[in-house]
Formats: sequence, C-alpha cells, structure tokens
Amino acid sequence: MTENKKFKRRATVRVLEERCKGCWYCVNYCPTKVLVVSEKLNSKGYHPPEFAENIEENKVCIACHLCELYCPDFAIVVEELK
Amino acid sequence: MSIMEDLRREEEKLLRTERLPHVWCPGCGIGIVLNAFLRSVLRRNMDPNKLVVVSGIGCTGRAAGYVNVDSFHTTHGRAIPFAVGIKFARPDLNVVVFSGDGDLFAIGGNHFINAARRNHDLLIIAVNNFTYGMTGGQHGPTTPTGAYTTTTPYGNPDRPFNIPHLAISLGAPYVARWTTYHVNQLQNSIHKALGMKGFRVIEIISQCPTVYGRRNYMRSPLSMMEYFQKNSIVKNDATFEEMELTYNGKIVVGEFRSVEDIPTYEERYEDIIRRAQNEGGD
Amino acid sequence: MTEKHLKEGYYFWSGDVAAAEGAIAAGCRFYAGYPITPSSEIAEQMALRLPQVGGRFIEMEDEIGSIAAIIGASWTGERAMTATAGPGISLMNENIGLAVMTEVPIVVVNAMRGAPSTGLPTLIGQGDLMQARYGSHGSYEIISLYPNSIQETFDLMFDAFNLAEKYRVPVIYLLDGLLAHMYERVYVPPREEWEKRIVRRKRARKGQLPYEPDEDLVPPMPLIGEGFRIHATGLTHDERGYPNLTPQAQEKLIRRLNEKILRHEREIWKVEEFMTEDADVIVVSFGGESRAVKAAVKKARKEGIKAGMLRLITIWPFPWEYIRKYSADFIVAELNYGQIYHKVREYAETKVHKLNKMGGEIHTPDEVLKRIREVSGK
Repeated sequence: MTENKKFKRRATVRVLEERCKGCWYCVNYCPTKVLVVSEKLNSKGYHPPEFAENIEENKVCIACHLCELYCPDFAIVVEELK
Repeated sequence: MSIMEDLRREEEKLLRTERLPHVWCPGCGIGIVLNAFLRSVLRRNMDPNKLVVVSGIGCTGRAAGYVNVDSFHTTHGRAIPFAVGIKFARPDLNVVVFSGDGDLFAIGGNHFINAARRNHDLLIIAVNNFTYGMTGGQHGPTTPTGAYTTTTPYGNPDRPFNIPHLAISLGAPYVARWTTYHVNQLQNSIHKALGMKGFRVIEIISQCPTVYGRRNYMRSPLSMMEYFQKNSIVKNDATFEEMELTYNGKIVVGEFRSVEDIPTYEERYEDIIRRAQNEGGD
Repeated sequence: MTEKHLKEGYYFWSGDVAAAEGAIAAGCRFYAGYPITPSSEIAEQMALRLPQVGGRFIEMEDEIGSIAAIIGASWTGERAMTATAGPGISLMNENIGLAVMTEVPIVVVNAMRGAPSTGLPTLIGQGDLMQARYGSHGSYEIISLYPNSIQETFDLMFDAFNLAEKYRVPVIYLLDGLLAHMYERVYVPPREEWEKRIVRRKRARKGQLPYEPDEDLVPPMPLIGEGFRIHATGLTHDERGYPNLTPQAQEKLIRRLNEKILRHEREIWKVEEFMTEDADVIVVSFGGESRAVKAAVKKARKEGIKAGMLRLITIWPFPWEYIRKYSADFIVAELNYGQIYHKVREYAETKVHKLNKMGGEIHTPDEVLKRIREVSGK
C-alpha cells in the first residue's frame, strides 16, 4: 500500500451484527482499514465491526472481499457499488 | 451484480441461517473452512439436492448442522463409513465428509485407512485444530509433540499423524493441506477436488484459540492466524519429513498429490454387478 | 444384464443362507458386514447373490463401519442389513442407538453363540436376549424377532424388514449357532407371491417436517437426494431434526420413540402356542432351544402331564399378554443363566421356574421332560 496511491471506492460492507463474535479478523485483514471495532454490543455481548469509510484518509472499500472470506461467522456481506 | 456478491447471496441459501450464530467459539477456524467449502460448491454449480454432507462428533462435527443440504451428524468416528453407505447405495450423489482430526484419525482412523484403500468416491475435509475442542482441549492424534493440553500438562509425549503422507501412502488420488489463513488457496483446492473422483483428502490446519492456543502461547484468534501466516511454506513436492508438523514450527502446505483416473470402489462394483448378472446360468 | 431371482421350489439351506435369501426376497438390496462365526455364510451368500439382483455388498473394515454404512444406505431408501454375532453386536450397539434416535430402518442379524467375550464361536448360545433390548445406552424400545426353523428364518425376514420400515426402527433378527449352521428344506413360493408380502416405508410429503409424526407416532421418512434437505443428528432434536438440548425436547422425543413401538406391540407380537390351552405347565422357549422343548412337551402329554409350549417369535417388545393370560406354572428354558425368566416373572401370576444351560448345546428333550415332571409334581 503506497502512501500516495488513491483507492477507488468500490463497495460498502454490511455487517450482520447478531452473527458476529468479535474475532477481528475482518478488521485486521482489511487492506484499506475500512472496518473498525464498534462501541455497540450485540445480544451475545460482542462488539461487531463497523464500516468506517474515510475518503480523506484513503480508507475506502476496494471490494477485495477478504473480510467476507475470513469471517468465520458468515457475518459480513460486501455490497459493491453499481 | 458481481460474481463475488452473487456467491455471497447464494451462500446464504446453503446455510441453515435460522441456526446462526453457530456454536463455534470466537475466532474458531471451522467457520472459515465451511465458508470456503460452500463457495467452492457454488462455483462448481453443483445441485444442492444431490450433495450430502456427513460429519462425525466434535466441534467440526457440528458443521453438518449448518449446511442446508442433506446432512448427517453421526456417531464419533463413523462419518466415513456412514458416507460410504450413502455413496455406495447412490453413486450419483456427491458425498462430502466434513469432520475433525480426532474424529477422523483417532477413533475413526481405521475407517479412514480402509476407505482410502478402497478408494471410495468421497471428499474428506479434515479440519485439524491440534486438539479435542468440544471436550475441553485434551491432546489428540494430531497434537504436536511437546504441546500443552489439558491431558498433557507437562507437554505432549505423543507423535502426531502426518496426515497428507498417510493419505498418499494409501493411494488417495487428491491430497492437499492448507491453513485457514490460505482462504483463496483453500477454496481453489476444494473447488478442484470437488471436480475430481475417488478418495480426496484436504487437511486444513485450523485455529482453536479457546482451548489450544491459550495453552500454547497463542492467546488470541489473531495470534494463531499470525502463526499460520508466518510459518507456512507452500511446497507441492514436499517430502515426508517436510510434511511432518512440529510444535509451533513450520507448516508445509500445498497440493501434494493430484492424480486422475484411478477407478473408484463404486465404479469397480458396477463391473461386479455386470459380471454377476452375465456370468453362468441361473 | 438380467437380474437373477429365486425360482419357486424347494431348497436345502442352512439358516445363514435362508436368512440371506429371505432378506433378498424381502427387498434387501444393501449389505455391509464383517465376517464372524457363525454368521459369516450370510455375508458369503449376500456377496454372491446381491449383485445378481442389482444390489450391493460391501465387506467393511469392522462391525462399527458395517452398521454405520447400512444406516447411511437406509437414508437413500434401500432396505439395508448387516449380520454378526456376539462380539460384533457389542461393537455395533452405539450405532444401533443412532438408528433408534434418528429413526432409521435397518435389520441386524445376530447369530448368538456361547458368550461372553469370544466364548464358543461355533456353538449355540442365547445370552444376547437382554442385549438386543438394552444394548445401546439410553431408554428406548426396539423390535427383535427369533425364528426356530430354516423355513421360518426365510419367512420371518419379511416381517423383520416390514416392521423396521413401518416403525422406522432397527430390528434385531436373532439366530443362534444351531440355526445358523443347521440345514433344512425350505419352500420358496413364486416371486409374485412373495413380493406381495413386502410393505414399503411411508414416504415423506413435501412440506412435512422430517420428524413430524403421523397419527401412528411414526414420521414418514424423507430420502436423500429428493430435495428434502434433511438434517439428522444423534443429538436430541426437534421435529425439524435440529438439535434441541432441552429437557422438554428430550421428554417429547424419547417418549415418542418408546410409545411408537409400545402402542403397536399387539400388531408386532408373534408367538407359537403349542398345547397351551389346557396346560398346567407351560415351557417358555425360543429359537433352536424350542425344538427340544416341543419334543419334551409331546412326551409329557403321552405321560398324561398337561404340558404346553409358548414359543416367543417376537422377543421384543415382550409379548407379556401371552404370559398374563395363562394360569399355568411356567418353566423358562433358555441357554443362559436366566434372562427371559425375569421378564416372565414380571408378568406371571403363577410360579415361574428356571431351566438353564450356559450354551454350547440345547437341552435334550429328556432334560426338559425331567423339569416338566418336577414342576408338575408327577
């Protein structure tokens, strides 16, 4: 990830919060760091991730789908922009 | 809609979503393997009504309970012979055994060996998390020598199975090993194996942070993933020694064997039926 | 290719061969087994004959694999069977429990030999009667049948498969070391006739939950590959087949598994009542042993003793009404230290006596006669 390369926004990440168990693979493996640990708690007591896009900081979803592939809980859906 | 989005949407239909969240612990790798498996099935355009998933007992044994196809949660160690019964009775079905290392190689080891020898047309997805997770983290047939578990408080004196080597020695036509870190390679490997025939074995090294990792210097899900990431080496022509797993050591992954056209048991039996009905008088 | 079916006629068969041929005639098309004396000839006959009728035979690595395979095969709709003897049935018991819990019709032949352990592999025993009923863990009902001639070994196979399919339950088909290896003449009727005896399993309807029972407490069985997306588990489950680990689900399921058999016990029961009507002494017997008992009863009658024989063909569910209805004294003749004796005592309102041999051979008619004389006081 080079400092000056501008990423193109390609998708948003939808989190099925009730399925999340807070392992943070998604947060960790996101190459553009668009996911953060949220303050919210789900009914099992876990903090699901939150989609936190920040265009200024170059934090945009590039639709690599890695979060979806690493999520052990089927809790993530990457929705590509039309 | 992109292919990936389409896959994700279709994947929901292959899950018994009303049963989610599943029983597996935070960060458990079994869900990652199940995810890769379902995507491979979808990429193959397989008819879900002709797909059967059979599991044994244990954490991985619960996988059958989440797939929305004909699925069976059987007794401990007996997933393979149960699957043999289904496949042999209905050779047109695609039968997948999805189970754990303790189930497949300790209590079910004899079935694994003999089913591989006979070359039944089954895909074996063997999730290896180095331990008996469901019962609280005792050492199993794949626990590395020296590892700490609830029944090896002074370190494990046992030697673990070299699963790919075992499968190759039995003539299994497809043998691969990946870790849950290798999500894409794993998915491609399952996808390829689903398109082949015979006794296909894919071992997936998976993390059990809850009862294995925390006793072996990997307290969080991420630290176990980090171990896989830093210590895995892809080597398709690995030797016996290289395939062996050591305590917190290197993990050699890859596609170790891929051979086409070895007749399956089911195919050979079609010939038996033909001979029984053609030979002799009545 | 043409299927080769049995022709009408008389055959000279051992019990093992008759069991295999009876099973094939009754529609069995899948056999998985592991050789064990005295049942091995069933496997041999199946290996020869099943592919001739389009069926499948597989010799597995052990008895546990064998029973797991037939449970799997039964889910595809095949009538599936395995055969074994004491040590093998001990290994199979965990999966018999799985078949009970997931309601899978299978037939398991147990050719009983002298036991425990390796015991007397080639000789008769009747020590597995309680094991047939209580072998797996948990509280459940099962069906067990036990013929006493080679003809009956052939004929009773139809009942075994029909009952298994009707009630979605394993049927333990008892033979013994005597019947397994004994030869007798068997009449096989024309195929059209025997095929009429076959009762097929109820088929699941679309939309019905896989474990949603009908009036008779038996859920119709969905089959693999037909789009039902079945889930079956040995865990306590609800009507969808999903695990439900609560006392409420356990109560509901286990009660039904027991009641679906007990409610129909009168339809399941089969006994032979020989000269019991006016009897003062009734000898309860079954299997190979009952052949000596019948001879002894005839001898006793010649001596003026009003003796009779009650032969249990259905061992489980226990045909208790046939004990309750007589006011005669009972002798339970069995080749064990006393098993069915306790069941007869449970229901008899009269005196119950033992006549035991530990296995290896049946009683001689004179030994039985001696006991009849003692009990009758003549």
